[in-house]
Amino acid sequence: MSRAQGAEPRSDSDWSLLERIVQKDELALAALYDRYSGLVFAEATRILRDSGAAEEVLQDLFHQVWRTAEKFDPARGSLPGWLLVAARNRSISRLRRRSSRDDEELTENSVVLPCNLETAAAQNQLLGRVKTILSRMPDGQREAIELAYFEGMTHSEIAEHLSTPLGTVKTRIRSAVEILKQALA
Amino acid sequence: MTNGHPIRAEEFELFALGVFPSEESASILAHIDACPECARKLAEARGRVALLALAAPEQSPPGVVKQRLLEKVRAEKSGDAAPVRIRETRLPVRWWNTIWAPAALALAVATVFLWISDRRLDNQLQHIQQVTQTYQAQTEHAQALVNVLAAQDTMTVKLNATPAMPKAWGYVKYNPRMGMMCYSADLPEPPPDKVYQMWAVPVTGNPVSAGVFMPAAAHNGQMPVAKVPTGMDCKWFCVTVEPKGGKSAPTGPKVLVGTL
Repeated sequence: MSRAQGAEPRSDSDWSLLERIVQKDELALAALYDRYSGLVFAEATRILRDSGAAEEVLQDLFHQVWRTAEKFDPARGSLPGWLLVAARNRSISRLRRRSSRDDEELTENSVVLPCNLETAAAQNQLLGRVKTILSRMPDGQREAIELAYFEGMTHSEIAEHLSTPLGTVKTRIRSAVEILKQALA
Repeated sequence: MTNGHPIRAEEFELFALGVFPSEESASILAHIDACPECARKLAEARGRVALLALAAPEQSPPGVVKQRLLEKVRAEKSGDAAPVRIRETRLPVRWWNTIWAPAALALAVATVFLWISDRRLDNQLQHIQQVTQTYQAQTEHAQALVNVLAAQDTMTVKLNATPAMPKAWGYVKYNPRMGMMCYSADLPEPPPDKVYQMWAVPVTGNPVSAGVFMPAAAHNGQMPVAKVPTGMDCKWFCVTVEPKGGKSAPTGPKVLVGTL
């Protein structure tokens, strides 16, 4: 299944959509939503394990894009990168009942993606690559990095959760990150 | 730490992942805020780590989410237009401003007038309080003077001149039961920055000050009245010349001396 719903012609880059959103063009917001809502919703649902809560995170994020689009500087990072990072932060904050900064601005947390996710094809291709990378990892390594990313756990928390020595957890995560880095280079 | 940076190149992904303890993360973030090179590396690391999101099972949001989002932004857009309508409906209300503006001005003038009156009355009240306090002090002084002078056991002590001021004279009215004394003296004006000071001198012990005075005050009926310890075995009285404000013990020349 394609995560990007692909209703928008390819000529509309993220940047041009953002420019139109600044002008309060609802169609541009709808196009941007169609492009990335699948990625954001899947991530939030995986973290929260609650589709209702994930819907709220999704709606809040795109509403923020609508309100503060003029603050986004494409030179400092990519919009889908920011969406993924912000969705993760907010979902983990909800999961852990932590106070989250829902007013997180687009200028914060610059994120530079190593690839383009503007098309459904690009998203599907990358999705396959990431799944393949993770599937080739040893179970303990994959489990550790998934706990870090989707549960927001620190080294110590993962060690305690898995009843595994802290040093082992650090080594597993470091190796997993290195594998991911090389595979996406 | 390498070359002054608190984080090694291979650790940026770990930092982006959030596996460091919070206190360590805080110090790294503080550095990154001020280090463009580390900020760029972190942005790239965040991007690589963010792709882990694609490992999540695929999910499509219900269509109602998009619908709610678009309804919300439409409502906000229409809300933006509201001020225009408000301005239009407010136009007739401006007619009232022709009444309220002069009324507000009149109120402001009245407020200033009342404030000035209040200040004037306040000053008058303060003056009356000062006069009252003066009268009260004079009344108490006169009452004390009458008490000393009228008491049958009050003694009179003549003060004799000394070679320092041969033409001076004076007297003291002293009542040991009441512990009160008053006195009068015919003395010339003291040197500049000097005053006269009356002392009650017991048989044993140090002289006790009975106040400082100027000759004019002692002449015009404003007899100085002083309180001294009751039961004090007072034997002598003397007047010395002292610096303004007086001293705790006699230091200047004696100009009048009297013995009980």
